[in-house]
Amino acid sequence: MTQLVQALVLGLLIGGVYALMASGLTLIFGVMNIINVAHGALLILVAFITWQIWSVTGIDPILLSVVTTPLMFGLGWLLYKGVLSRISGTSPGMSVLLTFGIAITIEGVLNVTAGNRFRSATPSYFSESFRVFGISLPKAQVFGCLAAVLVLGLLYVVLTKTWTGRAIRATAQNASGAALVGIQAAGVAALAFAIGTATTGVGGSVLSVLYPFFPASHYDWISRLLGIIVLGGMGSLVGALVGALVLGLAETLTATYGSLQWSTLIFYAVIMLVLLFRPQGLFGSRLRQDVMA
Amino acid sequence: MTFVESLRTRTEGRRGKLALIAMFVALFLYPVILPFAVYEQGVLLLAFLMALMAVSWNIISGFAGYVSLGHSVFLGLGAYTGGLLAETYQVNPLWFMPLGGVVAFVAAALVGMVVLRTRGHAFVIITIALLLSMQVLVTNFRSITNGSNGVNVPLPFWSSDYQNMPFYYLFLVLLLVTIAFAAWIRRTKFGTGLLAIREDEDKAAAIGVNTTRYKVLAYAASAVPIGVAGVVYAYFLSFLNPIGAFALLTSVTIVLSALAGGRGTLWGPVLGGFVVTIVSEVANVYGGGSQSRLLVLGLALVLVVLFLPQGILPAVSARLARRRAAQQKVEYTDQTGVATARTSIVVTPRSAPAAERTAAPLLEIRGAAKSFGGLRAVDGVDLTVEAGSITALIGPNGSGKTTLFNLVTGAMPLGSGEIWFDGTRIDRMPPWERAHLGLGRTFQITRLFKSMTVLENVVAPLPTASWGLMGKDAVSGHEAERARELLDFVGLGRFGSQQAGALSYGQQKLVELAQVLMLEPKMILLDEPAGGINPTLINRMVEIIRDLNRQGIAFLVVEHNIPLVLDLCDPVAVLSRGKVIAQGPPSIVRADPLVLEAYLGPEWLPAEPVPGAVLDQAALSAKGS
Repeated sequence: MTQLVQALVLGLLIGGVYALMASGLTLIFGVMNIINVAHGALLILVAFITWQIWSVTGIDPILLSVVTTPLMFGLGWLLYKGVLSRISGTSPGMSVLLTFGIAITIEGVLNVTAGNRFRSATPSYFSESFRVFGISLPKAQVFGCLAAVLVLGLLYVVLTKTWTGRAIRATAQNASGAALVGIQAAGVAALAFAIGTATTGVGGSVLSVLYPFFPASHYDWISRLLGIIVLGGMGSLVGALVGALVLGLAETLTATYGSLQWSTLIFYAVIMLVLLFRPQGLFGSRLRQDVMA
Repeated sequence: MTFVESLRTRTEGRRGKLALIAMFVALFLYPVILPFAVYEQGVLLLAFLMALMAVSWNIISGFAGYVSLGHSVFLGLGAYTGGLLAETYQVNPLWFMPLGGVVAFVAAALVGMVVLRTRGHAFVIITIALLLSMQVLVTNFRSITNGSNGVNVPLPFWSSDYQNMPFYYLFLVLLLVTIAFAAWIRRTKFGTGLLAIREDEDKAAAIGVNTTRYKVLAYAASAVPIGVAGVVYAYFLSFLNPIGAFALLTSVTIVLSALAGGRGTLWGPVLGGFVVTIVSEVANVYGGGSQSRLLVLGLALVLVVLFLPQGILPAVSARLARRRAAQQKVEYTDQTGVATARTSIVVTPRSAPAAERTAAPLLEIRGAAKSFGGLRAVDGVDLTVEAGSITALIGPNGSGKTTLFNLVTGAMPLGSGEIWFDGTRIDRMPPWERAHLGLGRTFQITRLFKSMTVLENVVAPLPTASWGLMGKDAVSGHEAERARELLDFVGLGRFGSQQAGALSYGQQKLVELAQVLMLEPKMILLDEPAGGINPTLINRMVEIIRDLNRQGIAFLVVEHNIPLVLDLCDPVAVLSRGKVIAQGPPSIVRADPLVLEAYLGPEWLPAEPVPGAVLDQAALSAKGS
């Protein structure tokens, strides 16, 4: 019983971190219809930056997200204005290929500058745990999850309580309608992309503590995150949250009762099963498609 | 086009063909003439493999437009199939080449059946996931695959004096077979259907293309050559491990090759495969080793997408075409020129002419309803269309006419109610099955496949679900012949080889009608056939509709041109706020106060009944009973 509770709690802790990483991805998809395959590479990039600063200055890696988040917001803005906006209006297939190219480029840059080896940030509390009712909670995971929940809450407030957030959600639901009521689509898209990318700031900093990483790790991460948003329903924030928790639980449960190696496969099996019965994902809506013409 | 001009384009085509043959002959002779250029042969054989994979990838991602980012999974599957069996039984892996193809086919078909049923983005994501999970699977199934320790494939049986020469020829021959395979697919109705899916998937479904089957089959077909080549690749490498066999870098290179060469064209991916392999080899040798190769490939992909999205081959041929067009005289394409060229045709609809039919209506809509959020766009419509009739459906804007069309053809799911067509209940069927029953439609704003030729547009529809028909030649032979006849019938025979997007709007409407006729329909739904076209073409459209109707095809027409409706159609049904408010002969409907109110508002109602009009509710066939 304790073992099960332990697995469930750990699963939820990891799921919270996944939820943060996936929320940025699904936000970008919802607003711009772009699958940002570079999201994973950006996470790894942040993890490298965090590791580098931590190993030089010794500042807490998770705390460093205060630095990396605005940094990634800026990078996201530049990436959208400089690269992605050039292909807006072409087929969605092209945006996949473009972000795929960006991902490979980031991996290449990391390969050349940082070298192809595993790294992991290990602050003092790295191997310590809290003990609550006989369950051990690794401190790093607790702090990571707290940071993630904090940022997710912030994201929620921004999206629901501010004008900017409402503009973003309006554009996601009906771009031309939003434009008609005076929302500048291009500006909103850039902002949404920047906010989506900013989530990799916290995500990557937490990642650097929780998981060993090397440049090619981004494939692993992007396929997990994309899996989460396919499972939850593409573009749905609630879906991303639920999908992330499912992945977290699937991982810890298979690791507890089976072997860690199989956890990813179990997760993909769950996705295929869900798609078999709900092709649009758990929370995805099939919109009224544009068949009017 | 004058005779001299046609001769010139023909010789240009022949010149291209000769150049291709010369290139392949040179590639065949190369190892014979320079047997000791071992390194160059090695680079070339990898280029053959890359070109082969790019040509295969192009079938699903170029023709059908569904991008796969994990296509190297099939190379790994083929390699592991051949390598493991050869290691276990200590035989030559080449025997397992067909099996490699089969394994790839089955894997792709299974995955495709799950993720390709809907439109959209799940596919691209699952292709990456498939590649990575195969990596995990092969690493973890130690008992069978020997995990990350890898597989030792038996060494080549030939003398080491021959080096890689046999592999060189194997890959070259496989490449040629793959190109022929892709070219064959492109020529068939299956290939035309794939392009149709890329251009407009809903429209493709409306003309009888079973989009799910097409996409799954295209994905599976694009896996087979790579699976076969994978077996040879295992033999060539003589050692396999999970990371190397299921490499994402290979997938990147496939995508880059096809994209750089020209996605969707036949020879573009071949060119791209050669260019990318050779450039990345040069970058590897002169550019600081494999560390920077990734960086170069990634940047190349970004630059190609941004600045050469259509690819080298289409860019070059577009430039050549522009230069040729500058020397050519513009063809005369006026409407009257078109109007004189019409021929008659026998359409043989699959239903018997009206006189011989029993009393049951051809189309029967009972209590159909559909809401969007709180708006009930169609609110309990009862409507029948008799075989052999030309029934009109009129009503103010927003009354639900087009939505009703979408419900009948299956473009939208029905909320509640029933739809029966020719004795079959159709409201649960996918759009293509309804088309196979003989139900065709045109769209309010024409939806031709704009980058395809007019002839390809007309060949694409599939009147039945037959597999054999999908394999029929779409460029020549019976199907193309029929398409030409139909184009002649609507008077556009001369435009067969034009791009559909280049035609005038009215001409596009006629092409769309010809397209629907390819379905051998029993009934055609026309959504504003006369909207936005000039009077000459309206007359021609009416003439065509009458001609087809005489041969037994029923019509349901949505139209705002009321004089036209009253002249052409009988009976007329009036839709207002999602309900049928009147149905009957035109003379009666035009005088119905309910109809006048729906169109003009209550204040326009005449105080006295219109003289001569009989407001007999019984004569109005009791409002859609």
